[in-house]
Amino acid sequence: MLSREEWLPLARKLDWDYSYVREDEVFPEVISGRPWLPHSEWKDWEESFKTSYREYVDNQYEKDMAVQAVHDAVGRIENVQKLALPWLNSLKVHAAALPLAEFTGVIGNLRGARFGRDSAWRTMATFGALDEYRHTQIPLLLFHPLLRLDSQFDWAHKFYHTNNWFAVAARHFFDELTVGQNAIEFHIATNVVLETGFTNLQFVGLASLARESSDHMFERMVTSIQTDEARHAQIGHPVLATVMKHDPKYAQYLVDKWFWRNWRLFSILTGLSIDYLTALDQRPYSFKEFMEEWIIDQFLRTLDEFGLEKPWYWNLLLDELDIYHHMIYASAYSYRATLWFNFVIPGPAERKWLRQKYPKYWDDMDAVWEQISERWRTVGPGPANEFAVHGTALPTFCDLCQLPLSAGTPRKNTARVFVHDGRKYIFCSEPCQWIFLHEPERYANHKDIVKRVLSGEAPAQLPNLLTEYFNLTPDTWGKDVHNGDYEWLRARKDPAA
Amino acid sequence: MPIPLYGFLQGDTVGLLILAEEAETLQALARKLQDAASLRVERRDHVQVVYNDKTMDPTMTVAQAGLQALDRFDVLSG
Repeated sequence: MLSREEWLPLARKLDWDYSYVREDEVFPEVISGRPWLPHSEWKDWEESFKTSYREYVDNQYEKDMAVQAVHDAVGRIENVQKLALPWLNSLKVHAAALPLAEFTGVIGNLRGARFGRDSAWRTMATFGALDEYRHTQIPLLLFHPLLRLDSQFDWAHKFYHTNNWFAVAARHFFDELTVGQNAIEFHIATNVVLETGFTNLQFVGLASLARESSDHMFERMVTSIQTDEARHAQIGHPVLATVMKHDPKYAQYLVDKWFWRNWRLFSILTGLSIDYLTALDQRPYSFKEFMEEWIIDQFLRTLDEFGLEKPWYWNLLLDELDIYHHMIYASAYSYRATLWFNFVIPGPAERKWLRQKYPKYWDDMDAVWEQISERWRTVGPGPANEFAVHGTALPTFCDLCQLPLSAGTPRKNTARVFVHDGRKYIFCSEPCQWIFLHEPERYANHKDIVKRVLSGEAPAQLPNLLTEYFNLTPDTWGKDVHNGDYEWLRARKDPAA
Repeated sequence: MPIPLYGFLQGDTVGLLILAEEAETLQALARKLQDAASLRVERRDHVQVVYNDKTMDPTMTVAQAGLQALDRFDVLSG
């Protein structure tokens, strides 16, 4: 009988020469990806961490048992009820955005498992698909039962099946990243950019935030997922190295495009969680500090490793670290009923902290929060006044990222109108327009929420839009966590206070 | 028939869809945007309407200014 060291190399490399079909028929460029190269160019594809199926199953079993044990110990509803309200709403964001996005990762990995250009790559992608299936099941298992506590947790299952504006944006992103993608672009965009660049480190950061917030169940879940990510993220590196060797310009384009697309979604999910939905005394760092320490440095090292340049929009991105997620949060707060989780207004202590962390543009953001607070002060707190402190005109969305036109600064919004093939498009930023113009055939026919309203596909009136198109109900649509009843607001109303 | 426009009020955090009438003045259009954004931005009396990088005469109508469906206009502090 062969030892592991003898049979594993044989099992990993099971490619053969085809006798009755051509190689480009077995691996068509349209689905395997470009540059199309003969297998001789891929045969040295090598993963740095090698595993067998048996080892994989043993490891995953141990990890699942550890998650289950923590869930049994601290994952009951009474434990979740003890969490701070803002953090509970950060959980709702992740409960909705994470599980079925991971499921699209199953599909992308299965594409690699069939159309990856070397058998070792295909084997690793098979494990990657199993990982992502696990990352779908665990959050569904942990979050959906919380429906008994709070009906907004229903969105763990529901989110991606709705036409909620954020779901439209998230689907636009994940459908392109994973579901409708060829194997080469999938593995570079997902493994190198999303996982190595963002989520692998984001999960470390999220675990630390969860620990600070005493949410040990979420901490364990993301830690467990992160260990899988760290393993399967390596698939993309030898793929990128080969593309870099044969078509460096295309490799640079893929990295630039996907870093921007990831940044857009990531800054909302993580930026809002760190800077607004974590209690002030439990924030270990600001989102900007987290980005600079964990994401930016690591990404620059990855670029160096492959001989890639910084993306052309680098300075713009660094500038956005100071403002983009703040613009989004204030906009989303004022349209909170269009989402499935609740929001909190930053009070004087939070605003002082935010000013310290984000001195560059905070004056402009502070004026916005002052105005919103003033409205609550005028109408008074209470659930009945939620819509008196809510936007009424339809907010607008980018034709590429599908997110609100909230880029630039309050003084100068960077949205730009562009005519392509006789049709008018609007983009939140130059990089979003640049991506669109590189592959217009991919994006041109997608309608953002505004175009759907204008074409009669979605209702124009906000109440109908919320219930008929965004699938929200009075129970589930977003509110202010305190319905505007903040001690600091009350104190200011009383001039003697 | 109302003309859908992308309105950006200086000081605001998001662009808004504003339905304009051909015959209304740019001053009225600016007021419409200010009202729509009043939850986030304090209303100012003196503002300028900017379209295609040009500051427009506020007494002009939407039609005279040449604003077309899905164009961008900005309202800046005057």
